[in-house]
Amino acid sequence: MANYSEYGKVSVLVVGAGPAGLSTAMQLKVLKPEIDICVIDKALDLGNHNLSGAVLEKEPLATLLDAAKPGWRDTDEAKLVLANVIDKDDIMFLPGPHGAIEIFPMIKMARGMGLGFGQMIHHGDYSVSISRLTKWLGGIARGMGIEVLTGFAADHVVFDGAAAVGVKLVDQGVNKEGHKQPNYVEGETIQARFTVLAEGCDGLVTERFVEKAGLKRESPQLFSLGVKELIKVTPEQYNKFTRGRVVHAMGYPIWTPVRGPGMFGGGIVYAGEQDHLAVGMIVGLDWKYHDFNTQDALVRFKEHKFVKQFIEGGTVVEAGAKMIPEGGWRAVPRDPQTQSIGKGNVMILGDSAGFVNMLKIKGLHNAIDSGIQAAKAVAASLDNPNAAAEKYTANVEQSNIAREMKLAQNFRQTVAKFGPLQGMPLSVLGSWLPKFHVEKDYEMMTTASYRLKPDMTFDKDTFTAVAATAHREEQPTHLKITDPAICLEKCLPVFNAPCVAFCPAGVYETIHGQPKPANPSNCLHCKTCQRKCPYDNIRWTAPEGGGGPRYKRM
Amino acid sequence: MSDYIILVKQVPDVSQITDNAFDPETGTLVRARLASVINELDAQALAFARYMKMISGDANARLVALTMGPPMADDVLRYSLARAADQVVLLTDRALGGADTVATANPLAYAIRRITSELLQCGDDYLVVSGMQSVDGDTAQVPAQIAEELKLPCIAYVTGAEYKSNRFEFTRIISGGSQTVAAKKLPAVVTVAKYEYPLFASFAGTRWATKAPMVKWGADDIKAPMIGAKGSKTAVIRVFPPGKSTRKGKQVGDAGELARIIVESFKKGDSHAAAATKKEDGKYLLPQRRTNVFERRWEGTAKEQEDYNLLAKVLKDLNITDPGKIDEAAQEKILAAVGPSFQKKALEDMLAGLKATEPAFHGEVWVVAEHSDGVVHPATFELTGKARELADSLETKVGVCLAGESVSHMAKELIAAGADNVYAIEHELLKEFDPTAYRKAIADAIDKYVPQIVLYAATPQGRMLAPMVSYRTGCGLTADCTGLDIRDSTRKGEIGLLLQTRPALGGNVMATIRTKGSKSQMATARPGVMKRLPADPARKGKIIKHEVELTEDDVRLEIIRTELGHGQVNLHADAIVSGGKGMQSRDNYEKLVGELTSALSRKLGTQVERGASRAAVEQGFIGRIHQVGQTGTSVGPKLYVALGISGAIQHMIGVANTETIVAINSDPNAPIFKQCDYYVIGVVEEVVPKLVAALKV
Repeated sequence: MANYSEYGKVSVLVVGAGPAGLSTAMQLKVLKPEIDICVIDKALDLGNHNLSGAVLEKEPLATLLDAAKPGWRDTDEAKLVLANVIDKDDIMFLPGPHGAIEIFPMIKMARGMGLGFGQMIHHGDYSVSISRLTKWLGGIARGMGIEVLTGFAADHVVFDGAAAVGVKLVDQGVNKEGHKQPNYVEGETIQARFTVLAEGCDGLVTERFVEKAGLKRESPQLFSLGVKELIKVTPEQYNKFTRGRVVHAMGYPIWTPVRGPGMFGGGIVYAGEQDHLAVGMIVGLDWKYHDFNTQDALVRFKEHKFVKQFIEGGTVVEAGAKMIPEGGWRAVPRDPQTQSIGKGNVMILGDSAGFVNMLKIKGLHNAIDSGIQAAKAVAASLDNPNAAAEKYTANVEQSNIAREMKLAQNFRQTVAKFGPLQGMPLSVLGSWLPKFHVEKDYEMMTTASYRLKPDMTFDKDTFTAVAATAHREEQPTHLKITDPAICLEKCLPVFNAPCVAFCPAGVYETIHGQPKPANPSNCLHCKTCQRKCPYDNIRWTAPEGGGGPRYKRM
Repeated sequence: MSDYIILVKQVPDVSQITDNAFDPETGTLVRARLASVINELDAQALAFARYMKMISGDANARLVALTMGPPMADDVLRYSLARAADQVVLLTDRALGGADTVATANPLAYAIRRITSELLQCGDDYLVVSGMQSVDGDTAQVPAQIAEELKLPCIAYVTGAEYKSNRFEFTRIISGGSQTVAAKKLPAVVTVAKYEYPLFASFAGTRWATKAPMVKWGADDIKAPMIGAKGSKTAVIRVFPPGKSTRKGKQVGDAGELARIIVESFKKGDSHAAAATKKEDGKYLLPQRRTNVFERRWEGTAKEQEDYNLLAKVLKDLNITDPGKIDEAAQEKILAAVGPSFQKKALEDMLAGLKATEPAFHGEVWVVAEHSDGVVHPATFELTGKARELADSLETKVGVCLAGESVSHMAKELIAAGADNVYAIEHELLKEFDPTAYRKAIADAIDKYVPQIVLYAATPQGRMLAPMVSYRTGCGLTADCTGLDIRDSTRKGEIGLLLQTRPALGGNVMATIRTKGSKSQMATARPGVMKRLPADPARKGKIIKHEVELTEDDVRLEIIRTELGHGQVNLHADAIVSGGKGMQSRDNYEKLVGELTSALSRKLGTQVERGASRAAVEQGFIGRIHQVGQTGTSVGPKLYVALGISGAIQHMIGVANTETIVAINSDPNAPIFKQCDYYVIGVVEEVVPKLVAALKV
């Protein structure tokens, strides 16, 4: 075989081919056409691991594409991906299983008064499939001469002393017992002058880097879990809903004022492509019910009279689950000395950094924007890579990202501290609020039960089947229980192993009395388990590249 | 130093096939809706070639990946470069499109000649390695036909290799066991049935692969004589969706309920097979036997049949009785009467065609017999039954071609099963099945007697032999047929054609195929699909000895060892309990399959045999002789119980003829649940003991 060791080196390595990572690569290629850029992703194909609502603000995407692909608006792909422009913005409060109260006028009023949650208006934004958006951007990137390689899972940043020199990939070809098979390939170390971490929420490489490089968060990261189904409906139902509509619903079935439950989050209904509606449920991971499963809430939401009219009789054609980083500006990991988001030649972007604006409940525009800022920082630090993270941080601080993230910085923590009933109104005070100390999500677990559990057990098998998730079966499980004794002696008697209930893919089962990741090949890579296990006893690691869900229209 | 040429093919990702991947009208695959991937067995072949290079200790050996396809097929070559290949060759040209297996094998063989002489300059020191078959075609013909074109030995269904005293010894699957063989000399063609360690891409290799040079050749660069649709010996005349499975696919709650259902359906014999094969629109008659000269019930496609029905009605209304006497005026009248759907040219063709009464092919209907240890393979008797039906329609004789060291003693049984003539080819060099020697002997007899139809069983042996014989005799071949019918194509003046119907794309579509440009029509037929006739010992027939000249050079393989399973295994029993990978261990297999087998045997009062999936055999749970499926034995019992078997297509093909299929599996997504009659979702260790207990009540 040819000697291609030179191909193990690259000037700029981007970990994660999502909107943030691809934006970095594209913007940088515009600024410095001669530089070699490589984007890797653990998914089998572009867009396979991307899931979002998704509402996308127009500006950052337009800025990026105007530079990277002039005339992009007239392409067939743009017309397909950006077909839905939001013209009807419903925000509902659901008091129970039947009623629905439109509260959009209040939001509008709040906006008029300059209050925080007045930002939750999406008129004129796109509602998109992020899988499709990503696939499209990846194609443009490749056309620009950027190497976008899917099927490669990164494991950790490699250091030489204090300096980051590259990224090591996951070993491949190890069998279940941990022995090397004849086709074993040791994970290569990709040498890179710049490393861009754009892995999405709770990135494996990012979190290991944060720990190793000593980055700190002022406030712990908080998470939500979103589960989403794409449902094929009748043309009548679709036309009744209309293509440009998005619905956000609060209240039932995750929050009701007197009897509970009391969880943060809500349901969504967005229009997808013709005759397809996306229905989802997003719930803050600080829920306290040991038997809660987000999919149960989704079932209740779909049964709600308002939602049911649009989807009754429909077929779920695709589904998936993903976490959302909700901690906001104070939960962005920074170097304690320089305050840089990342360190030296390593930058942290998008959802990996936590640039989700909880007042807008949007982060996609910030992810793209952070990619643009990172590209500018790299372009300005070619002679001194170690200055990149600080330059990137300075760019972010001056960008719209910082401006809007600061406005929203106390919202989620306030809700976490006081609960939705008091927290939401309190948050009206916006950025004047003091910083509240909050606990990590997993510490909130109690022995209480979710009151509205449906009679039927949710069919997780069909859910994972339409998520098209698959892994090579003969590899060691990528979900590690740190101490199995804790499951047995502490968790099972007290909480009855919540992982079995909350894992949306049904990975966890109690077999012969021992809770364990019995079906790792069903994993959807949402990582809820490592953030919600009440004993912080689960670690998600990266399986062989190419494994995981295969989203196409999420 | 041996070099390796690996044949790789780009195929639609059939694992991702959903209902909307097919055009509901035509049953054709909407290719744009499916991702393209490398054929899984070719990926294994690439890894196997690298493994061979490694065990031979020859660091300088070169691996060249070769594919033929549209320009986008370069993806599979990049796949190969990123993992193991040193060089790649893409054969792409519009003129090469629309090819059948012959017109695929021929240009590939010519490309191999050019690779070895120009790119590698390796003389005879090379091996061609490919997957056993592709998932879209499933024919397994191309490698064997390449071997035939290049006059090389073909070692098929290989599962392992060792390097001993400067040569490779291959382990391969044969009916009922395994065999270790070596090629007497190189070059040789090797087809891989299973190598479980496909290669992973490296990051650096993947980047290199996008920049590495790629040799691209068009038709003019290889000058192969048989290419494209023109060079093909078969043509697809119709593609249609398979009949909806009549399998019930019903979930059963508990073991007690399942026990009751098993006993009931076994006794009732509610036959899936009978339901699936019942359609029959009367026996085919040659035109001169038909009472009405205009009767054209046996047209190739449904559309043609409709047209002729309409024409017959019009002719009757117009009182026309002799197609020879239709003048221009009559023609105008007919045209006016049939309406606007008929073009003038089409009508002329049809009227001219009606004069044709002479069959397009002549000669006997032949079956190539398979046997081992002096016993005829049961699949051969199924073919003599089918051949009898075809020959009666065509008013010709059934011939059986029987080659071996000493075979005449088997003739009597073949005659009783429907044969008129048994062509016995006996030679000491035919002692063991060596495809090179056998294909020479059988092709020689075909060239001499020129039968109009030749049928082979689609067993591992038949699937190897048939492509070589057909290629050598210049005839088209259709693999794995499940339907064989005599039909006319009157419009083209062709009477009495053999239409060959087979599943394709892993059973997701059916295709009806005809032979063209050939002296004989050849097909392999799936075992277990055709019905054998009750033996009639009173039947009379002839034994015709056919002499062939064979020399030691015709025997190209050295058979080192043959290992057949021990003991008597009767996979033709009325009930079979099979275990798969889900049995976890040999002990579990022994215990659970054993207990259920004896419980069923007692309850049903019949013999119950043990079967296994290929995975279970590979894991060493039980001997190869118990393997059920495409590369094992095809079975058709009244009851088939699958324990911990996922239901891979290769396995399900082998049980298609079963009356009632019952599955127990812990994976709710197991494909077998859609292809069985009753199933229980559960761990076998828990469900089987309960089922056994319930059967004892």
